[in-house]
Amino acid sequence: MPLFTDGKAQDAKDEPGDLPEHLIGPFSEEKRKIDANHCDLKVFTDRRFVGYWVLWASFALTLPGYAQNDSIALETVVVRGFVPEKFMSGLKIQAIDSASLTQLRFQNISDVLSAFTPIAFRNYGPGQLSTASFRGTSANHTAVLWNGLNINAPTLGQTDFSTIPVAGFDQLSIQYGSAASIVGSDAVGGSILLGSKAPDKPLSVTAGAQRASFNNYQVQETFRYFTHLNEKWEFSGKTAVYNGKMNNDYRKPLRRGYLLLPTETAQKGIVQDLFFRAKNDREISAHIWLTDNNLVLIPDDEMGREMTRTTAYRTMLRYQAGSLAMRTAWVRDIIDYAKGDLSRPDHSVTDKFASRIEKDFMLNLGDNVNPVSIKAGGEWTHYRSRVPGYAQSPVSENRTDLFLLTRWQPTARIITSVNLRQGLVTGYNPPFTPSVGLEYGLVQKIRYDLKIKGSAGRSYRVPTLNERYWKDLGNPGIRPETGWNKEIGLEQAFRRAIGGSLRTSATFYHNRIKDWTYWNPSSGFRVENLQQVLARGIELQLNYQRQIGFWHTGLDAGYAFNKSSQEKAYDNYSQDVVGKQLVFVPEHTANVNMFFQYKLTRFTTQFQAASKRYSTSDNIQFLDGYGLVTLIGETTFRFDEFRMHLQAQIRNVTDTFYLNVRNNAMPGRSFALSLTFSYDSQ
Amino acid sequence: MKMKKQLASSLAVAFSAALLWSCNQSDPAPKGDYVSGVFVSNEGNFQQNNGAVSFFPRERTTADLDIFAAANGTDLKGGVQDYTASEKQGIILVDNSAAGQDRVQFVERYTFRDEGTIGAPDIENPREVAIAGSKAYVSCWGTNADQKYSTGYIAVIDLTTKKVTKKINVANGPENLVYNNGKLYVGTTQWGAGNSLAIINTTSDEATSPISTPGIANPVGIDANGKLWVSAGDKVLRINTESNATEATMTIATGGTKAVGNFAFSNDLKSIFFVLSWFDDAFKEHGATYKFSISDTQIAVGTPLIPRHFSGLAVDPSQGLLYGAVSPSYTQAGYAVRYRTDGSVVDSIKVGVIPSGFFFQ
Repeated sequence: MPLFTDGKAQDAKDEPGDLPEHLIGPFSEEKRKIDANHCDLKVFTDRRFVGYWVLWASFALTLPGYAQNDSIALETVVVRGFVPEKFMSGLKIQAIDSASLTQLRFQNISDVLSAFTPIAFRNYGPGQLSTASFRGTSANHTAVLWNGLNINAPTLGQTDFSTIPVAGFDQLSIQYGSAASIVGSDAVGGSILLGSKAPDKPLSVTAGAQRASFNNYQVQETFRYFTHLNEKWEFSGKTAVYNGKMNNDYRKPLRRGYLLLPTETAQKGIVQDLFFRAKNDREISAHIWLTDNNLVLIPDDEMGREMTRTTAYRTMLRYQAGSLAMRTAWVRDIIDYAKGDLSRPDHSVTDKFASRIEKDFMLNLGDNVNPVSIKAGGEWTHYRSRVPGYAQSPVSENRTDLFLLTRWQPTARIITSVNLRQGLVTGYNPPFTPSVGLEYGLVQKIRYDLKIKGSAGRSYRVPTLNERYWKDLGNPGIRPETGWNKEIGLEQAFRRAIGGSLRTSATFYHNRIKDWTYWNPSSGFRVENLQQVLARGIELQLNYQRQIGFWHTGLDAGYAFNKSSQEKAYDNYSQDVVGKQLVFVPEHTANVNMFFQYKLTRFTTQFQAASKRYSTSDNIQFLDGYGLVTLIGETTFRFDEFRMHLQAQIRNVTDTFYLNVRNNAMPGRSFALSLTFSYDSQ
Repeated sequence: MKMKKQLASSLAVAFSAALLWSCNQSDPAPKGDYVSGVFVSNEGNFQQNNGAVSFFPRERTTADLDIFAAANGTDLKGGVQDYTASEKQGIILVDNSAAGQDRVQFVERYTFRDEGTIGAPDIENPREVAIAGSKAYVSCWGTNADQKYSTGYIAVIDLTTKKVTKKINVANGPENLVYNNGKLYVGTTQWGAGNSLAIINTTSDEATSPISTPGIANPVGIDANGKLWVSAGDKVLRINTESNATEATMTIATGGTKAVGNFAFSNDLKSIFFVLSWFDDAFKEHGATYKFSISDTQIAVGTPLIPRHFSGLAVDPSQGLLYGAVSPSYTQAGYAVRYRTDGSVVDSIKVGVIPSGFFFQ
């Protein structure tokens, strides 16, 4: 009576431990097996997949400029955006300014997010797997949207942030807290919004390269163009290519006796955006993002090396005519994993076909009352996945979402949103998902604003394809996770304080997630809806900008406290876990970015800190807290339309010692130098 | 699955005797924080490389969770596969998730201070360690890149120089070790295809003719009559150590779905404990611990000694208590649960993550 019919022999003793992560990881196939032939119950853990849970991120790098902090800026957001941020009233949204993105153009998104937000990353090492814990939730609870489309890998339900280079997008916003009624599944802890921006200058060309310590380098070229096709239509676009290699040739193999794991990461990609816009508010745009990230652990060990290659083809076609918008997209996620012999990797392919249609309405409530903005629409997504570890191949799944979003500003002081969504998924349905948001202007003066805002909403997460279809350990009957997120915050803005503008915000949130899935070791690692987690905390942010003559200074600072704990006992020994902080979620995080700029020369100091991160769920082990400082100096030389930008970074200036999830050392002080040439026709 | 506890206990007997003897020679009493008590090997969570050796004096009910870190200010940086000690040295087998990072860690036996390591390529995927005279024998899978467990070796370590002097090839992933009277008996991993028990002559350090077994073999230990006991699949064999002939074969009723493992000898070497475990249709692991006498003609699995399963099992030679290791999950502390030999529980002590082996000193 074999319960499992397949699986490679593997030792339980050797790498049993990580099974949950491995399965969350795209290919892990550790499993327990009852082997009838040997009249013997065996633990099968396929080591070939084990190292899977390994991808990347550069941690040692860091950040720049300043960020706009909140939703005050929101109201000026062009409604033409890909994500209906307009309906997110009551929620906290942080837009990262383009200067900051430009400053970190050769780095990965995790570097930007670490510098400007309290998002904690669970990092396996430089260039390796890096997943987000947003407001104390798990890696599955952050939605990553590219031009409005969720690009979390459907097999894993998460994004490896080390595979998302800053070069891949033009705009970055962070939306805090659940926004499932607007975004859909995965938006439990928050959402990362990546966007393409239509150029408005005839021609600009940028080409640059960065050389960093440890024989690491990046190159990229970007072309942006704009033209009037005729009296009615204009055309613009962007073509970008990026290519990089982290060789991580550390001078010494150890720091304080801890290994600097030898790894190599090669990353390359192409971005193509095309926009056709007509004066009568019609727009057609096409977006392509091909990206490839290849990580090899211990590359010099021909027997023991492990390769994880993550490739994504993302394509999208969008059409807007007045208040009607349509979008169709095809995304293919490919993951190849191999150990030893890298020529024949295990190959998994997932296709996602997603279409969306939405229409805006205005509901008039009378002559003396502002109308209500309404957006109604639907999304249809088809998944088709071939994964070696699945019980059947291919598997397919359909998901449909219907939504109704509203925004109403009855008076100058009040903005409110009520949003509704119902998801429909093959086999079962996630819960009806409502949310309500309210913003109230307590003080509205010329030089000072004080606003209170709050929201409450349901969230959900549709189980990943791995959770449903993984052979034996997946659970086709697993339920979607559901949560209720409540938050309230104060925002104030001084338009003239200490010679500049000052914004501060404080937000308290309370997010309870039920049916939290868990690869349960005591059930042979089968995935179950076992846990219930309460994440609550407070976030404080401050942004200061001052510009006088040629001098420009800015300060961005954030502090977050997060307590995120398991609430429910599910077996005898889970008593040791109840009430304890979730693993690798620091209780305290802080980030500071400060710059001084004179004319075209800027000095930036960045600081990011995290308190200790527990590495076991009962909190008996932890990795020490740490703080990292990065210094960036840069200047630009102008020659008519040409510019040359020179930037130097000192990362981990204080040579701080800290450890990653693998209990391996992170690099000490390192340097990066970049040179970028640009031509701008205006 | 693992019988290292039995090995550890038999070694501990020898060491206790040696200690006693040396005390009689009026040597100074050993000094250190870890002179007398129970050492627990904790494998940790593989990718987190967070194994540890926990320690507690027998009279205590709380353990020091990571004594290597306490003594040296840095942790072991890998899972702990086994721990044992020679006269003065403790030997820890450290298994890191990255290839080429495994090692044998030597420590001062009573203070646990770092006394050097042996790493790759001498040591790759170490499994168990046994001591014979001035040599230590470490079973290793080798790199095992193809995941087939077809090869492997025994690393012979000269404890004086702390160097590997020889690698003796053993097919099919060598695993559990029992040393007796000039012979090292070597079992193989259940993931390999071995159906024989390898024997190494520890004088010449050469492999001699193996003993064929009706299943994947692992040595359990030597009983009160000098006979070797070996588990092989669902069979338990009694073997004459002179002739290598199998004198008795008993079958453990597994119903085709249960796994047999964690054998341990009682202190009088006349009884053997073992764990029978299985998964139900909901993938929940169940199991129980049984006991049989070396004079039994069949092994009854009707009424268990203890109605639960363990990730490690051993008998303390000095107090005779049975120690069962409990591993609730890979991300939280396990427990050492102490039982009297009649199966009644004494107490439990929180130890490290995935406890699997005990060493008594």
